[in-house]
Amino acid sequence: MSTVDGLAGPAAVAEAELQAERRAPRRRRAGGAGSRRRARWAGWWFALPALVMYVVFELYPIVTAVQYSFYDWDGINLSTPVGLDNYVRVFTEPQLLSSIVHAFILVIFFSVVPVLLALVIASIVREIRSAVAGGLARTLLFLPQIIPGAAAAIAWTWMYAPDGAVNQGLRAFGLDALARPWLGDFTWALPAVGIIGTWLATGLCTLLLMSGIGKIDTSLYEAAQLDGANRMQQFRNVTLPGLRQEIGVCVTITIIAALASFDVVYMSTQGGPGYSTQVPGVQVYQLAFTENRIGQSSAVAVVLSLIVLAVILPLQRLFRER
Amino acid sequence: MPSASQSPRSTTRRAFVAAVGALGVGALAACSAPGGSAGVSSAEAVPSAVSTTLGSQAVTLELYDGQGLKPLDDALIAAFTKKHPTVTITPTYDPDNVTTQNQPRQLASPTPPDLVRVISVTAGTKNNLLTNLDKYAEAYGWDALPASQLAQFRAENGVAGSGSLYAKASGFTMTGLYYNKALATKVGMSTPPTTLAELTGYMDKAKAQGLTPMVVHNKEGGGVFPFQLLLNTLMGPEKVSQWVFNAPDATIDDPAGLEAATTVMQWQKAGYFPESVNAVDATAADALFASNKGLFFPWGNWDAGNLDTTMPNQVGFFPFPAAKDGASPAAMSDAATAFGIPAKSAHKDAAAAFLNFLSSDEARQIAVDAGFMPSGTSEQQAPTIKDGSVLADVTTAFATVSEAGGQVPFVQNATAGINNRAWNPESQLLYGGRETPEQFVKNVQAKYEEELGR
Repeated sequence: MSTVDGLAGPAAVAEAELQAERRAPRRRRAGGAGSRRRARWAGWWFALPALVMYVVFELYPIVTAVQYSFYDWDGINLSTPVGLDNYVRVFTEPQLLSSIVHAFILVIFFSVVPVLLALVIASIVREIRSAVAGGLARTLLFLPQIIPGAAAAIAWTWMYAPDGAVNQGLRAFGLDALARPWLGDFTWALPAVGIIGTWLATGLCTLLLMSGIGKIDTSLYEAAQLDGANRMQQFRNVTLPGLRQEIGVCVTITIIAALASFDVVYMSTQGGPGYSTQVPGVQVYQLAFTENRIGQSSAVAVVLSLIVLAVILPLQRLFRER
Repeated sequence: MPSASQSPRSTTRRAFVAAVGALGVGALAACSAPGGSAGVSSAEAVPSAVSTTLGSQAVTLELYDGQGLKPLDDALIAAFTKKHPTVTITPTYDPDNVTTQNQPRQLASPTPPDLVRVISVTAGTKNNLLTNLDKYAEAYGWDALPASQLAQFRAENGVAGSGSLYAKASGFTMTGLYYNKALATKVGMSTPPTTLAELTGYMDKAKAQGLTPMVVHNKEGGGVFPFQLLLNTLMGPEKVSQWVFNAPDATIDDPAGLEAATTVMQWQKAGYFPESVNAVDATAADALFASNKGLFFPWGNWDAGNLDTTMPNQVGFFPFPAAKDGASPAAMSDAATAFGIPAKSAHKDAAAAFLNFLSSDEARQIAVDAGFMPSGTSEQQAPTIKDGSVLADVTTAFATVSEAGGQVPFVQNATAGINNRAWNPESQLLYGGRETPEQFVKNVQAKYEEELGR
């Protein structure tokens, strides 16, 4: 197509476009619906590679997991269909049921606390005028976000150890009575694991909320100030409504992280002591890979997915912009 | 412009149709029951003619094992192939925890390796996946080995412990009590205790001197060690093994099991274990023992090399003392790697020659050099070990236990899920005072039976 009618370079391109334009209406007149269909399908070709990956690595595993959940299968030998037995056990076996309860307790630490903390921190950081201090605050707050959950859990395990930083700190302040082996304590292990989650999630939420605050029209604050609104009132009437969508995103991400938590719990306690920090994510792994109970594991995974959806979908509606 | 307003809706509809279609394809692909028949004809699993001579033809064997055993396996392979130049062995190593999941897949594969790490003999025999080694045992005279060195690799009708032989070990682990020699002198212990009463007496004295009498770590379930050491002697190695081998009617919910759990609880109440035992992991326990504050350390041969380095000449080892007079010593001791031959292997004779080599004098020395206990008979030449090293003590203890028929498999290996589902959490509840000894043995037994479908 370098030469058309003896023309070369940009001129040729221009001429070709012109010809194409001249031809196009004719084709449209002639082809009608057929060409429209072609044009519409063309988009799917671009989506095809992603679609194939999605079907192979997302949809297919979901479908097979649902299928496996109706079988008793060790992953190798012949399977036996067991109907709804695997699901019945999820809700009747006390340890499986209590792990679901633990996941909801973790929501407080992985989601509620980080979002509230982030709201406070973001409003404070908004006030920082110095660019250096502001940048430093952002960097420090975001730091936990670049550390994998598993690594954070290991670091925190050292800090929670009987002679670790947490207990040393408590003893330094004369609070010897409070020092304890946190992750080995039946009452405190779950909150201790939760705090690791709080530490991981707060930075991300803060950053999201800070960018949200940045988008709020400053004239709203000025107007509020002129009306005599104090900081608290500005926060309640300007900042909070302006952050509706960002809070929605934070809550969604962190609740999923809490309900589907695996890495932090697995690396810090493996569900112990006793059954006090067992969560569905760890159960799915243990059932499938150490106990070879693929069917039971799939049933727990399906129930977990449904629980996540049941919690997230109403929240999505709640945080939708009106 | 009707088409413009229609287009987005129809696109959505089409996307929906596509998604449903994709799900349908997935469902169709998956609609047959999961799992294939992994069975092999029994003729392949039971060789009719065996030979102990290797022909002049070159043979290549494939070997599958865990990464942790690589130094041991590499040395064994080098020594074996030097002796038999016609044989080449190509090893493949997986991370150790992965071998548990991969062993059944390796065995079920249409082209399995010729030598495979056997973790569960009963799983391997389920579909005739492992070669029955009885003919080779007869031809090579493996029956001369102490019975307890082979019992773990026998199986019959889905129960391990007796019946036909399916694997042979490259070496063994050994458990018992390490002790700090300097602290032993302080509590007046000149020779290792031989009775439970003696042991308790020394722990009492150690406690009075502000020491940790027994360094136990129960963050990952190390607390099961004292329990099983007690169980071995109170119940007897035979019955404990039967439980691990899933023999019908086997139970730990009996007077012996209850006594073992009660003793552990009494020791915990007496303050013999580290404070916060449920938060201590193996590394922390090592550090506590190395800090010269702990008298006894119930653990195994795998730590001997480490202790010889960090505390040279300061540590001794002895088998757990007997609870009753006249009882013979017993200890948890299983294979470093138990090698089996998949039924579909085409080079069974050559693979069996390698299994035979595992109890040769040469292989015994290699096993000891790698920190494991040697397979073989007491008549064989003793491997050389550096004098005064704790490994020498461990090896002596192993010889005693092996000759007495006291090798017991680990209770954590009774079923695939028993450790995660029962031993770990339940022992944490016992040590944490959240559970009585009665509940402890009852709950573990209930999980055991549930997993076995009894």
